[in-house]
Amino acid sequence: MMDRVPRWASPVSLLLSLTGFAVSTYLTIAHYTTPETLVCATSGTVNCERVTTSAQSMFLGIPVAVLGLAWFAAMTALSTPAAWRSESRLLHLARMLAAIGGIGFALWLVYAELVLIGAICLWCTVAHVMAFGLFVVSVITAPDLLARS
Amino acid sequence: MAKKKRKRRSKVPQQRTNTDEEMRPAVEPRAPWSRRTSSAAIGVVVVAVLVMVLVFATRSPTSPKGSTGSGSTGTPVAAIVKVTSVSPSTLAAIGIPSGLPQIPALPADTPVVESGGKPVVTYIGAEYCPFCAAERWPVVVALSRFGTFSDLGTTTSASNDVYPNTPTPSFHGSSYVSDYLVFSAAETETAQGQPLDTLTAQQQQLFSTYDTKQYTGGNGGIPFTMIGNLYAWAGSSYDPGILKGLSFDEIASQLDDPSTEVARIIDGSANRITAMICLLTGNQPGQVCSAPYIQQEQGKLKG
Repeated sequence: MMDRVPRWASPVSLLLSLTGFAVSTYLTIAHYTTPETLVCATSGTVNCERVTTSAQSMFLGIPVAVLGLAWFAAMTALSTPAAWRSESRLLHLARMLAAIGGIGFALWLVYAELVLIGAICLWCTVAHVMAFGLFVVSVITAPDLLARS
Repeated sequence: MAKKKRKRRSKVPQQRTNTDEEMRPAVEPRAPWSRRTSSAAIGVVVVAVLVMVLVFATRSPTSPKGSTGSGSTGTPVAAIVKVTSVSPSTLAAIGIPSGLPQIPALPADTPVVESGGKPVVTYIGAEYCPFCAAERWPVVVALSRFGTFSDLGTTTSASNDVYPNTPTPSFHGSSYVSDYLVFSAAETETAQGQPLDTLTAQQQQLFSTYDTKQYTGGNGGIPFTMIGNLYAWAGSSYDPGILKGLSFDEIASQLDDPSTEVARIIDGSANRITAMICLLTGNQPGQVCSAPYIQQEQGKLKG
């Protein structure tokens, strides 16, 4: 059954998770220091500072950057080769549910950027693309992984 | 049909070789998540993103909820977004300008004003009133740092009053969500003087108690703004005349340009309101309230 899970799934998901983790670390540092540290335009449609200092940059009192950091850390752990090889149904289910939750939250953030704030944060967009990639990998592989375990 | 099903099941071999099983199992457990579900899930996400991008790209022609006043003509949503998302660096560059009217603190024994466990910021005005038109701008800029407005409208003040047709946001029909506070607003009349919002019991009580000579220096004057149990004032923080001849979009566009007088006055007033709200929320969120100019203003406000 393992053969039916694409060989690329493990390295690709790990790469996406690590990239997202790196970007989230950068955004978290900017959050706790100053948003001006972000290498990003500060005027017009692309405006990282406007997005990262908006009311939507916090969720239930927690900075969204920190939530992203925690999520990518969890996805990194769930994307290691050992995790992909695992026969544990729970682990594969957890990866898929985390990916769905992650893309759901990313969609809310994209909505906040485009509709509520009216500006786009490039670094946040990189994190959203990584989340989308992880979502795609997780749901594509889910049928075989959940059936086998 | 039942027979047919049983017959099909009976065709499944009872015993298999290892090689057969490795190559292709004849009986796959019914997967809880099929390939079709995967494709549908990805499709839903892609469509959702495309719809949002489309909304973003085509949202300029009309106001989010139309207008309620006399002189408004479909203010672009983009203009309203400019008001609710003034850049923190612009606000920091402006700080607190000199010349803003003094706002004395309410007595220390003023009862707490809360709703659902959160402190309440109250605004009571009317759409015909030009001073209300002026005061809404800094109120919206400040509150947008603590939460999110929805369905914020636009209007103009009465055409037959002083500072006629002053463009402004309107709180009528809008809503506001924040982790830190509740915003309670009412626009009592339209620009033509027709009844609009009815005051809630709490708004009525605050208005009749604090919009008095003892606290605000006026008796029922509008706009009436109250920051929890800390500050209350009647009237606008600046002369509405600075908005004369400007459209809503022109004012909104200048808010992010610290070199303009409009930004200096409106953003500066917003910064002072922000400092007051920070005192109310226990300096939360830190990202907003820890700014040096906010801390400095709080020192002055506390006296």
